[in-house]
Amino acid sequence: MAKPTGFLEFKRQPPSKRPVNERVKDWREIEQAWPEVKLEEQAARCMDCGVPFCHMSGCPLKNVIPEWNDLVYRKQWRAALELLHSTNNFPEVTGRVCPAPCEAACTLGANDDPVTIRQIELHLVERGWREGWIQPQPAAMSSGRKVAVVGSGPAGLAAAQQLARAGHAVVVFEAHDRAGGVLRYGIPDFKLEKWILDRRLNQMKAEGVSFETGIKVGEDISVNYLLRHFDAILLAGGARVPRDIQAKGRGELKGIHFAMDFLIQQNHRVAGDTVPTAAEISAKGKNVVVIGGGDTGADCLGTALRQGALDVLQVEILPKPPAQRDASTPWPLWPYMLRSSSSHDEGGERRWNILTQEFIGKDGRVVALRGCEVEWKKAENGRMSPVEKPGTEFEVPADLVLLAMGFTKEGNAKMLNGCGLATTPASDPVLDRNFMGSVPGVFVAGDLNRGASLVVRAMMEGREAAAGVTRWLATKA
Amino acid sequence: MESVESIVKRFVVSAMSFGSISKEAHETVAAAMNRLGASSNSGEGGEDPRRYKLLPNGDSLKSKVKQIASGRFGVTTEYVINSDELQIKVAQGAKPGEGGQLPGHKVSEDIARVRHTTPGVTLISPPPHHDIYSIEDLAQLIYDLKCANPKARVSVKLVSEVGVGTIASGVAKAKADMVLIAGHDGGTGASPLTAIKHAGLPWELGLAETQQSLRQNGLRDRIRVQVDGQLRTGRDLVTAALLGAEEYGFATVILVTLGCTMMRKCHLNTCPFGVATQDPRLRERFTGQPEHVVNFFHFLAQEARELMAQLGFRTFDEMIGQTARLAYNPADFTGKAAMLDFKGILEVNGRAASQPVTCQRTAWREGVECFDDKLIAKCAPALERKEKQVLDLPIRNVHRTVGARLSGEIVRRYGPKGLPAGTIQLNFTGSAGQSLGAFLAPGVTLHIEGDANDYIGKSMSGGRIIIVPPAAATFTAADNVIAGNVILYGATGGEVYINGLAGERFAVRNSGARAVVEGVGDHACEYMTGGCVVVLGPTGSNFAAGMSGGIAYVYDPTGFFDTRCNLDMVDLEPVRTDEDLTRLRTLLERHIKFTGSAKAQQILEQWESQLAFFVKVMPIDYKLVLERMKQTPHREDETVSATEEVYNDGEADGLSGI
Ligand SMILES: Cc1cc2nc3c(=O)[nH]c(=O)nc-3n(C[C@H](O)[C@H](O)[C@H](O)COP(=O)(O)OP(=O)(O)OC[C@H]3O[C@@H](n4cnc5c(N)ncnc54)[C@H](O)[C@@H]3O)c2cc1C
Ligand code: SF4
Repeated sequence: MAKPTGFLEFKRQPPSKRPVNERVKDWREIEQAWPEVKLEEQAARCMDCGVPFCHMSGCPLKNVIPEWNDLVYRKQWRAALELLHSTNNFPEVTGRVCPAPCEAACTLGANDDPVTIRQIELHLVERGWREGWIQPQPAAMSSGRKVAVVGSGPAGLAAAQQLARAGHAVVVFEAHDRAGGVLRYGIPDFKLEKWILDRRLNQMKAEGVSFETGIKVGEDISVNYLLRHFDAILLAGGARVPRDIQAKGRGELKGIHFAMDFLIQQNHRVAGDTVPTAAEISAKGKNVVVIGGGDTGADCLGTALRQGALDVLQVEILPKPPAQRDASTPWPLWPYMLRSSSSHDEGGERRWNILTQEFIGKDGRVVALRGCEVEWKKAENGRMSPVEKPGTEFEVPADLVLLAMGFTKEGNAKMLNGCGLATTPASDPVLDRNFMGSVPGVFVAGDLNRGASLVVRAMMEGREAAAGVTRWLATKA
Repeated sequence: MESVESIVKRFVVSAMSFGSISKEAHETVAAAMNRLGASSNSGEGGEDPRRYKLLPNGDSLKSKVKQIASGRFGVTTEYVINSDELQIKVAQGAKPGEGGQLPGHKVSEDIARVRHTTPGVTLISPPPHHDIYSIEDLAQLIYDLKCANPKARVSVKLVSEVGVGTIASGVAKAKADMVLIAGHDGGTGASPLTAIKHAGLPWELGLAETQQSLRQNGLRDRIRVQVDGQLRTGRDLVTAALLGAEEYGFATVILVTLGCTMMRKCHLNTCPFGVATQDPRLRERFTGQPEHVVNFFHFLAQEARELMAQLGFRTFDEMIGQTARLAYNPADFTGKAAMLDFKGILEVNGRAASQPVTCQRTAWREGVECFDDKLIAKCAPALERKEKQVLDLPIRNVHRTVGARLSGEIVRRYGPKGLPAGTIQLNFTGSAGQSLGAFLAPGVTLHIEGDANDYIGKSMSGGRIIIVPPAAATFTAADNVIAGNVILYGATGGEVYINGLAGERFAVRNSGARAVVEGVGDHACEYMTGGCVVVLGPTGSNFAAGMSGGIAYVYDPTGFFDTRCNLDMVDLEPVRTDEDLTRLRTLLERHIKFTGSAKAQQILEQWESQLAFFVKVMPIDYKLVLERMKQTPHREDETVSATEEVYNDGEADGLSGI
């Protein structure tokens, strides 16, 4: 175990962030690294619990957190990294963008501040890269099987790496021009710089994974074609169909966009690609309203501020969560509480209990948003539902509206059915314990399976589905 | 149907010592159990007398059950009389056959105070009870306890293992009121790994064997049966009832209701929930409430009721021992498990079948009569008006545990400080039976002209015992064995003067009494943690084994004492400092005063020359802690207590500095 009394001696020290006025001028990472001794101290806070909730109910990947904390504390970096990689393919990604459910479940968090698990993970892996400990691990033997992975988000990538290491020939098909899924196109560069992805993709290529980008399965090539040429197919296309808003003016007015279109365009710009002027979505000099109070909305906020928005308002229909963990979600549950991203420190305004009623236009372009406050009341069916509060109507200037209200499962079902897979009435694919759908040899993982979720969950599904594929292939003569 | 409120009265929280768990956790458990009208257990290591007073909100923090473990820490007269049940811990489920150890860093000032030891000094509980080597000895201890507290029942805690039924039958014959069968899963947090993994059996097996043996031997009607060892659900309770248990004990699960998250840090003192720690910073984090425990037990009882209803029983009493209602489902047992044979558990044959399945006694306890019953009557003037009394009485070896009930009565009336020294002087002539002066209280002097049996001054808390040979004896007192084995076991105060030799294990686990004796057998001062012993003659081997506190002075003209002393934990020093000289001399003078010892007289007459033959036996850790304490000024009265007790115990007529 790390130091038995470490948690009494050291306080939690989250990493510092670059000053706001500096960071909003560029697209580079926000968090700053710790010195090594800090890291060892922070790892020493781990209590090596008899029942480690971080690992058991926190981290979806089941990262063996207490063990690597101990090794970090003892300066056995390489062994720690090996252990970390044994459950997590891309710690440099989760170390940056994971909301760290492990920390929410950390036992120390029950009556103190949790261990800075995510940060330790990140430092550990970055040290590995610096030292050259992270090298390709090509499979020792080929299985003679070919597997196609459709989609190169975290689910597809984790699966592809696991499959290649199991000895299968793996081809990843990606509709976009570069691999990475939401990690590449979606998550802003200030949260995850893209060279980090390229570094890992190079390792995967050296391990034998081939990438076919710019190919949309279902349009450019069919599932049947893949079935004929591969022993198994893993569909990891993500949850890509955004939820739309029903409000007057939505159909006819220009200047209302889905968040993803806005974010992806910026990712392209940072990558040095040119964006056709006609299609350009820019917040520069505009009054921006982001509809949706979640992480995607926050990413839009940070991006809009960096583009030079006049001001940004983020509205959410749900009530404002409490500042601290709510009593309804006691430790070690995922807490119901107000979450603020780094973008919220950078500017803009947030409002809750807001219903958007109408987009007001001028010359075919949106210029304002009209809404009102709602109250959440129990409806007859027992569900909480919003009721408009009379006299609270308001109008705000809005010349760019970004819709960040999540993704629909129906969209997923469409893609799945298109590939011939059966779905449940709740739009989930029908899968067996190997993650295989109703068509033999076709597997599903990631957001396409469970609906929009987290990077770490997508990776977990990718790993498990890869294991399922290998198990299933072993049963085929 | 029997109500939840009635069912919960059968529940107990099993022994967890104050020391292994925090004060906060211990007191919360007690408050909860007292609210339920059920009982909690002090565990090993005594109880803070402040807990005997009711709180303003009506809560009581007193543990109804007081444990008597092999270490006898904190087992004072006051402790014994403030109990509804006295539980002799023969073994603990998680570590049967092993003793315990409380590392020095866990021995806080609070703990040391209630254990009557020194803060910071490691405490060792010996594996066996040094007053139980046979079932007769157990019967003697049960008798001692029943004498000292005529209101408490006495129970015996055994561990589930092969043959436990035979032991339980012995326990019943030894007149215990209840036998507790502890399963092997119990209380694993702080136990050694070897014991966690390899010792003991599940409670189901031990309980079934106990029930059957007791019935086979026609003893079931005399004794109640309790079971514990990771009971958690209503189903566990119903199974235990059907197998024959009348009462049910819980431990780990209760700690979980109070915040334990199974950190398994009990032995490191770093429990982050303030449950199993003495660290004040961590104890602040304790959030358990009596309500949590109360709720848990209500739910548990309700679940048991539901199952009981399904089985068609209206009360727990109807259900207890109805083993025929248990069956096993062969479908659950596959592979190797399919070879298991449950007949031994589920079937009852022969004589047992016609015997009762539960205890038939209605009284909470079976009382015992003792010599003291008459003494108490005779001592009314002293008891009621503190008048000085001197009685001359004959004594025989059938008179056992003389002085215990009288002492209990004194402490009940006047508290642990008892009566002023010498208020009651009892002069006996003859041969005293076992446990003379057990639980003796301040204010009583027992003077025996004759001799005395084993266990003199067991758990003595004050007073004085003097043993001298008959005036007419022709032998040399210093060469004659006049007192039995295991004297002053677990004593916390008082003084003993023996004009003659004593047997083995003299002053074993003494933590506060002073004694002068003219020679001892093997293992003297074993596991001693406090007090002072002067030996004026030969000693057996293994002197001072496991001695972590207190001081011994040995008169050793032969110069061979170091070969008979166990030097693992003690240093041998000459007697040189003023403090030592005064202390030794005073004790010798008192020895002469009370016994007329010729040997002591000779030594004092040539004090300067004889002094060189005295060896001081000083525990190494103890010495360090004492030195440290001398350097830190006393902060408050309480914190001084432990060491002061060593030197300044009660009856200070002319004994300043000791
Ligand atoms: C803006 C935004 C920010 C987020 N921020 C975070 C965050 O900070 N932390 C976090 O944990 N989670 C975050 N998430 C959620 C997280 O990104 C997703 O849960 C995760 O990326 C899902 O991974 P996936 O591999 O299942 O799908 P995706 O990452 O969506 O990848 C699917 C890939 O498949 C490709 N594809 C789809 N259909 C086809 C096809 N037919 N043929 C070929 N290719 C196809 C897509 O182009 C895409 O590249 C965020 C999501 C968004 C939208
Ligand atoms: S992947 Fe996420 S949940 Fe798992 S250890 Fe890392 S930060 Fe915690």
